[in-house]
Amino acid sequence: MYVEMRRINKTFDGFQASKDVNFGVQKGHLAALLGPSGSGKTTILRMIAGLDRPDSGDILINGNRVNDIPGSKRGIGFVFQNYALFRYMTVADNIAFGLEVQKKNKKEIKDRVEELLELVSMQDLGKRYPHQLSGGQRQRVAFARALAPDPQLLLLDEPFAAIDAKVRRELRTWLKEMIGRVGVTSIFVTHDQEEAVEVADTIIITNQGRIEQIGTPEEVCRHPQTEFVADFVDAERFEALMAVRRVE
Amino acid sequence: MQDQVEHSYQHDIVGDDIHSIRKVIEPHRDDADHAIKYILIGIAAVFLLVMLIMPLTVVLINALRDGWQAYKEAVMDEYTVRALQLTLFATVCAVAVNTIFGVFASYLLSKFYFRGRQVLASLIDIPFSISPVIAGLIFILTFGNIGWMGDFLKAHDIKIVFAVPGVILATIFVTFPFVFRELFPVMNAQGKDEEEAAALMGAGGLMIFRRITFPHIKWALVYGVVLCTARAMGEFGAVSVISGHLRGKTNTLPLHVEILYNEFNTTAAFAVSSILVIMAVVILIIRSFIERKRKI
Amino acid sequence: MRQKKMNLCSRILVVLTVVSMTVLTGCGGNETGASGSGDGNREKVELLNVSYDPTREFYAAYNQMFSEYWKEQSGQEISVTQSHGGSGSQARSVIEGNEADVVTLALAHDVTAIEEAGLIESGWIGEFDSNSAPYTSTIVFLVHKGNEKNIQDWNDLIKDGVEVITPNPKTSGGACWNFLAAWAYQQEQDGNDEDVTREFMKKLYQNVLVLDSGARGATNTFVENGQGDVLIAWENEAYLAMKEYPDQYEIITPSVSILAQPSVAVVDSNVDDHGTREAAEAYLEYLYSDEAQRLAGENYYRPSKETILQELSGQFDLDMNLVTIDDFGGWDEAYRVYFEDGAIFDQIYEE
Repeated sequence: MYVEMRRINKTFDGFQASKDVNFGVQKGHLAALLGPSGSGKTTILRMIAGLDRPDSGDILINGNRVNDIPGSKRGIGFVFQNYALFRYMTVADNIAFGLEVQKKNKKEIKDRVEELLELVSMQDLGKRYPHQLSGGQRQRVAFARALAPDPQLLLLDEPFAAIDAKVRRELRTWLKEMIGRVGVTSIFVTHDQEEAVEVADTIIITNQGRIEQIGTPEEVCRHPQTEFVADFVDAERFEALMAVRRVE
Repeated sequence: MQDQVEHSYQHDIVGDDIHSIRKVIEPHRDDADHAIKYILIGIAAVFLLVMLIMPLTVVLINALRDGWQAYKEAVMDEYTVRALQLTLFATVCAVAVNTIFGVFASYLLSKFYFRGRQVLASLIDIPFSISPVIAGLIFILTFGNIGWMGDFLKAHDIKIVFAVPGVILATIFVTFPFVFRELFPVMNAQGKDEEEAAALMGAGGLMIFRRITFPHIKWALVYGVVLCTARAMGEFGAVSVISGHLRGKTNTLPLHVEILYNEFNTTAAFAVSSILVIMAVVILIIRSFIERKRKI
Repeated sequence: MRQKKMNLCSRILVVLTVVSMTVLTGCGGNETGASGSGDGNREKVELLNVSYDPTREFYAAYNQMFSEYWKEQSGQEISVTQSHGGSGSQARSVIEGNEADVVTLALAHDVTAIEEAGLIESGWIGEFDSNSAPYTSTIVFLVHKGNEKNIQDWNDLIKDGVEVITPNPKTSGGACWNFLAAWAYQQEQDGNDEDVTREFMKKLYQNVLVLDSGARGATNTFVENGQGDVLIAWENEAYLAMKEYPDQYEIITPSVSILAQPSVAVVDSNVDDHGTREAAEAYLEYLYSDEAQRLAGENYYRPSKETILQELSGQFDLDMNLVTIDDFGGWDEAYRVYFEDGAIFDQIYEE
């Protein structure tokens, strides 16, 4: 297991956001944290990133307990729900920021930025500011920015929530492909079953702070282990999706 | 693709931009609206003329009533110069203290969530709702001879009320919320995602402030500083109570104007007032410049 | 371009921080520097004279005169800082910490208040000649030229439609004198019948249009803002208004008025702290010199020195029927009876 959560509990102001959370994600896998809003999935993601601290339990990355290591030293990239692009910096500066912080030399930074702009096919837009970009373009910048310092683990919080339904599907495919190409272990949060099924290798279903079930899309949809999962997952829809996937 | 860019660009500035307002109004325009528009413009113009332009003109005319020489004498008078110095000094102090405080307070209140956050935010606004005269009295009752800390201060030979520190304290008090009030909404609206993103990349607090927070708040900050300056220079009530009216020592420009007026020295009073008016106009110009900048 | 702007802004921030630090430490320096104590041999002495409203012009001139005299006498430079306001509020500010070396207030009671706060030693009233009142004045009426409402005496002030301007006795010493002068007049009219007098005073204050906090404020209300038909004023204040606005006003002398004796005193605890006793005492003593007495006369105060007063018989009406504060049992008694919270003035004004 590359990432592991062991007996994690977390409470905010009397609200228990995580209850005895246990799961692992294998190296190179793309996992989805799926659940209704308020089910604690974002909290889990933020704890892995080091933005929130669990009250108890262990977080392991690559076999090391990272509870006491600051987020910036955990070798992760994070894509925020609204991308959180630095609005007073150009696209290129956004991508370069993490490298500048690491005090890489200028040439190295420049090359890396160009490489990433090319990867997300935005070579000509490096001088633009975030507010001059479309939603899809912003997502790609956020993705490139998160990848810039070469993280071992990529975390994405509702990466498609801020995008028009029309382009969402297109971007999904793109993102899956990109992650595959880079080969980085990734975990993303979503409340959209279709999204999870289409993109993820592993689905982790959360409900009221607990993990309900972990498995491949197929396992989760065809063999729900709890009443909640059976209710939450629309099996018919899954079959339709699988059909589409096979055709593709 | 180009379409999308256009769309999102507009989306970002809606609500801030005059063009979007015009779009709302224009389609409904008919004759009745026209009439209302001109009546409203008329009322506003008359109001401005009577309430602002006329009195300000009177100040300038009266200031120069006895000629340029008299004006110059009044303005260059030793006590006027000292009052001007004190006013500027108190203003610089108030602006500096309130800027530092305002940045810290709004950073604290917008980026961290803790119990009593709301209470703290309302407390900062107190000087807005307290009459400046009361503010002055509060300080006298706290730091004065028969006040709370009177014995302590006397024992340590520290003078606050009826001295320059009191004047500065009163000025700081009445201008306390200005910078905070400008910064807080801006910082709050920004959220903490960008800061978190930068922190996750390993940026330190100072770097985050310099490269993420500051560029975002800089115009609001300058605007707050300008408002704070304007208010600090014009403060009368609180300073009047606490100053003891020591001529050449604790008199600020507004107090000096009152004294000159009380000495039947009307021309000089208006001449000194005109300094305040001129400073106010300069601030107004800076202000509108900043407002334009902020829109970008 | 962006980069440059940002640098500029961070530089501004740095400058602001530095300035604020300097300023704050500067303030600290001031706090201690303002009230250093020392001895009589210093090169330069500073005095603070906390005074009441209408003495501005007189003390501006007197301070000049005194500093020349003192330089000659002792070789020391002296600079006197003035503070003016309603006599009562000024006394209060001294009690609260305004570190006056001398007070020159409108009435003895205000000095007594400072004495009661422990800042002035008792017996101050005998410290200088004429009950520590180097100059006196009286209360007169100032009316617009032509005297349209035909105001001749106190009883004309209670007529319907006459608008009176007088300050508030709670904060202004002059206003206390005004009140007592009116009271004395009516007492004389009706053979000391207090009920009738109260009724008279009530009518008088019903006619008051603006109740300013100090004598100078009231004068301004009348002469500069043109409010009211008659100003009950210090004689000196009335003359000053005549001088500032020639041909616009007339002074009316009522049949009965009061001899107003503004009091001066050294604030003992402050001069001891400042080491300025010698200069402060000389400052008040010199008020009784012939040249200072004449200067008071020029500023329309009646000199307390009889010989100088007689020189000015052309200027002042020396035959006025003047009662004194002793007719009211002295200031402490008078203040208690008429002006304390809930006393006669409050009763009359609240009705």
